[in-house]
Amino acid sequence: MAQSNNKEGHGVVDGHLDLPVKKVINFSPPLYRQRYSFVNDLVNQHKPKKVADLGCGNASLIQMIKSHSCLELIVGVDINKDKIGSQRCRLSPFSGEYLSPRDLNLSIILYHGSAVERDSRLLGFDLVTCIELIEHLDSEDLARFPEVVFGYLSPAMVVISTPNSDFNPLFPAVTMRDSDHKFEWNRKQFQTWASGVADFYNYSVEFTGVGEPPEGAGNVGYCTQIGVFRKTGAPATEPCVAEQSGQHVYKIVYSVSYPSLQQKEIRKLAVANEVSRQVQSLRQRYVSSLRILRRGDGDGHRASDPGLVPFSGPVFTELEKRKIEKSPEPFRFGNKLYVPLERLLAYPKVNRLCDSVDTMRALIADSVRLSRDGSAVKVDLREASP
Amino acid sequence: MAGRARVRARGFTRSPSASEVGYLQASPSPESADLRDNEASSSSGFEDTSRISQQHVVSSGYAECALMKRGGKTFPDVMDLGVCTREKFAHVRDSKTGSSGIPVKLVTNLFSLDLPQDWKLYQYHVTYMPDLESRSMRIALLYSQKELSSKAKAFDGAILFLSEKLEEKVTELSSETRRGETVKLTITLTGELPASSPVCIQVFNIIFKKILKKLSMYQIGRNFYKPSEPVEIPQHKLSLWPGFAISVSYFENKLLFSANVSYKVLRNETVLEFMTALCYQTGMSSFTQMCEKQLVGLIVLTRYNNRTYRVDDIDWSVKPTHSFQKRDGSEITYVDYYKQQYDITLSDLHQPMLVSLLKSKRNDVEARMVHLIPELCFLTGLTSQATSDFQLMKAVAEETRLSPQGRQQRLARLADDIQRNKDARFELETWGLHFGCQMSLTGRVVPSEKILMRDHICQPVSAADWSKDIRSCKVLSAQSLSKWLIICSSRAESMIEHFLSCLRRVGSSMGFNVDYPKILKVQESTAAFFGALQKHVDPDVQLVMCILPSTQQNYYESIKKYLSSDCPVPSQCVLVRTLSKQGMMMSIATKIAMQMTCKLGGELWAVEIPLKSLMVVGIDVCKDAFNKGMVVVGFVASINLRITRWFSRCILQRTTTEIADCLKVFMIGALNKWYEYNHGLPARIIVYRDGVGNGQLQTLLEYEVPQLLSSVTEASSNASSKLSVIVVRKRCMPRFFVEQNRALQNPPLGTVVDSEATRPEWYDFYLVSQAACRGTVNPTYYNVIYDDNGLKPDHMQRLTFKLCHLYYNWPGLVSIPAPCQYAHKLTFLVAQSIHKEPSLELANSLFYL
Repeated sequence: MAQSNNKEGHGVVDGHLDLPVKKVINFSPPLYRQRYSFVNDLVNQHKPKKVADLGCGNASLIQMIKSHSCLELIVGVDINKDKIGSQRCRLSPFSGEYLSPRDLNLSIILYHGSAVERDSRLLGFDLVTCIELIEHLDSEDLARFPEVVFGYLSPAMVVISTPNSDFNPLFPAVTMRDSDHKFEWNRKQFQTWASGVADFYNYSVEFTGVGEPPEGAGNVGYCTQIGVFRKTGAPATEPCVAEQSGQHVYKIVYSVSYPSLQQKEIRKLAVANEVSRQVQSLRQRYVSSLRILRRGDGDGHRASDPGLVPFSGPVFTELEKRKIEKSPEPFRFGNKLYVPLERLLAYPKVNRLCDSVDTMRALIADSVRLSRDGSAVKVDLREASP
Repeated sequence: MAGRARVRARGFTRSPSASEVGYLQASPSPESADLRDNEASSSSGFEDTSRISQQHVVSSGYAECALMKRGGKTFPDVMDLGVCTREKFAHVRDSKTGSSGIPVKLVTNLFSLDLPQDWKLYQYHVTYMPDLESRSMRIALLYSQKELSSKAKAFDGAILFLSEKLEEKVTELSSETRRGETVKLTITLTGELPASSPVCIQVFNIIFKKILKKLSMYQIGRNFYKPSEPVEIPQHKLSLWPGFAISVSYFENKLLFSANVSYKVLRNETVLEFMTALCYQTGMSSFTQMCEKQLVGLIVLTRYNNRTYRVDDIDWSVKPTHSFQKRDGSEITYVDYYKQQYDITLSDLHQPMLVSLLKSKRNDVEARMVHLIPELCFLTGLTSQATSDFQLMKAVAEETRLSPQGRQQRLARLADDIQRNKDARFELETWGLHFGCQMSLTGRVVPSEKILMRDHICQPVSAADWSKDIRSCKVLSAQSLSKWLIICSSRAESMIEHFLSCLRRVGSSMGFNVDYPKILKVQESTAAFFGALQKHVDPDVQLVMCILPSTQQNYYESIKKYLSSDCPVPSQCVLVRTLSKQGMMMSIATKIAMQMTCKLGGELWAVEIPLKSLMVVGIDVCKDAFNKGMVVVGFVASINLRITRWFSRCILQRTTTEIADCLKVFMIGALNKWYEYNHGLPARIIVYRDGVGNGQLQTLLEYEVPQLLSSVTEASSNASSKLSVIVVRKRCMPRFFVEQNRALQNPPLGTVVDSEATRPEWYDFYLVSQAACRGTVNPTYYNVIYDDNGLKPDHMQRLTFKLCHLYYNWPGLVSIPAPCQYAHKLTFLVAQSIHKEPSLELANSLFYL
């Protein structure tokens, strides 16, 4: 929803009454963020694996959507090489992404190239976004654009956003919003073009937008108009390899791959970490249960009183609880506590990482101490430090 | 190993007492692993060039340093570069190299950077018409200029550096913003800088930062790490990232690139996991309280956007299922927000919220409060509890400790990566830089020293540890111990007799007579120990020994506090655990006997000092552990000709910088004491100053040296003592190795480097005076900033080496001159445990060992 700020009113210049100054429209959140949120919601909804952003600029849209777990490949393309480069370090994985890696591999690649050139590496995508792109194309490029994006790349879904010139009278300057804009379409112009393209390439199209006009502005539509195109009929088969190798016209500017559980080393570390965490917590619980037994006071009982408990520790569903209860209990032998691997496997966080006791054993063998027969993790019960 | 040494060894890695010498290098010192570094987020918000100032440069030299200021923050390393001290010393103007010893070829961690002969950096000032506020806009407009696009450049929004000169002195360009406004850019040449100028050094450092980023390294703080090759320590929930600390500097006659292996310690534990563990540990009743105590004030790292926040509070009433208002005014629950925004599913819907106050960059806006989900926050930095966990630190040390050979392999790989990577090479080439080969230089191994005992001169087999060589020798002097107390818990009683017999046996062979003490048995509580002290300690008691039941800090602290200032009596603390070690009793007793001798004012050994009438002084400054606004200044001066007796003073000073105020008082005190013993004043005084931060050289010269000088001149009406001041740094970039059997090893003890890796504007040298059994040795860097004595560089170096033999807590060489090590030990004790000034009555003995 747009809001107008306090510049409204009448300016008095040299004693003459001036014309009312036009309201300056501020969007909150800013319009560009609203556009990105729109794409973010689409990703959330449709769970694409491969997304390409044509005209990605400094890649802020990619930065915003990259946390989605469904994504495996994100590609950004822009004609302005300096711009692509400027923020790319923000696309590299955070330290947190090494500490808790994603499930699936993710690669992000930025290309230097034009949206109206064919590059076979962009074939077979689930979503192609062209946010505020088409208005920068001259008539020749605009004519080639549908053929490349819809005809050649032919992704399952295309999102195109562009300024709505019906909205422009609400801005102080009546000309175009950016000096590089070759045109700005009204709703009718955009919808005619988009429907034509959709019909020709067998897509359906829905129109929407972001940036609602301020109240009382009349029927001007959204500030940014958006067309969401979806391929109709059966999804096309993936193009064959021979065709793929043909056209590599884009230049790679930046490429990064994220740590994920699909990578063996990362998975090993993740399992070792999760197992030791679980073992430590079981050990801790065992030690404190001994303490409560020894003291024999009511501390243990009070802990189960929900009125007093501000914090409950890990939460399990009924099913998970039953699974844990059914698994073999940790047992003590001498100064050591043994936690059966089967027990560990019952915990959902461990279970997510490995499906059987054997895989778990193989993954943790060189980082965690196991019992002689390899069926349990061994941990010292004595206090390591006072 | 004395129990107390062990107590201290935890959580503390600098002092080379028995337990630590081997472990000194190995230990993750702040340089090799940023353990206490809470800064977990990368400074990616910084544009590369942002560190260059917005002020003008017209000349080169010291005046340039002013330009390194940005918003009042000065670049410390560069600050020191402008302080040219050597030119004032006539005796080292031509040569500052020594002569004695055997030459040794050393491999370094330095790489030469070659530039064309007439290379210059051109500095321009850029103005915009109309003026633009936004830095990113300024940068974008400049970078879009065709005229500049192919040139190597660094730009921060106002100052532009080019490696090629533009045709005109003033270049006018015009550009259009996205809104269609025309902006005129005026680029004016303001300086031509030679490669050795401090500004160029800064630019070279920026270039190398870019290059390391191109090698997909991850910048944290000022270092670069490789997250793709982590070392995990799952049992302690730690991840270590290997990486490098790098710098480019202008050494004696060349530009050199130096790289050191460094590790970043990351904690692989979320706040929620931490809370869960704490909950089991403490039980429910005190959980909330404990949780707040442990978490508030910590810095956490959010996993979804890589930001760091300080935990200011915990809100137990808000749950992830509650709603909050987004910026656009709509309401959303935390669960939905994280799902939508970051595709994260929260597993625990009952967890409380961490509260953090965001300080606004603009002062007028009120601080904003944010709620953070414990499950999504990683802990950062190591708590003091973690650093005092011996097992944990050992595990970290084992991973981070690298042999010289291992280090060399890492360095070679880095150099190789820089030379092979296309982008890196391109970046270097456009600037006209050539990354050369690893540098070797020639150092010298100065002659080893003899250890003088009471009636024996011994030439140790190894200068690293002569405890075996002196086992049957008598110490120089020792006071008999006749009236003393032992306070212990009844648990420790059984081992005391055995310990005492050992102590008396080693004492008599050392020439230290120990009588039977009075033994007090008390309960196992701090109060009981303290009560016994108050009841039984009187001024006649020579020494109190406390057998501590555990390493809990409060025992040690309260005892030391009471006996150092309230009731000044030398004290010796030993852990029960230490005394129960079978088979080690003799060496433990020897160690304790030596410490007790020193605490009673005895002297253990000496080395030959050719200079007659020389006083050496050590000064160290250390921040108080509890009180951030306080620093502790320690001052230790020798008071006899043999340099075996010491006068130790310490003061707490309210300041934020590590510059000492009270040196005049201390110096006069020391000179008086010297006069008392020697009936005259020392002819020469040499002060070793440790604990100097980067960028403080000028302040030292302007503030501390005059204090020392004025006390020296005031002390005598005629010929006053000659003064020299030497800054001691244990952290420096260069590393030296010797090649043996085609593998690199640590250089021999006594290796001196006084050329090539030193600085032309300083009278400086490196000395290797410590042994590292494992890991790589750090050379100690000495910079003579004031010198009236005019000793030959060779004599200065050898004297420094001799002084490294005189630390009585360790029968072997230490990394810094003994007076500095004493001053350090003293300030550390005061900063960690006593927190107030020790009594003057103890100043004549090494009561703090």
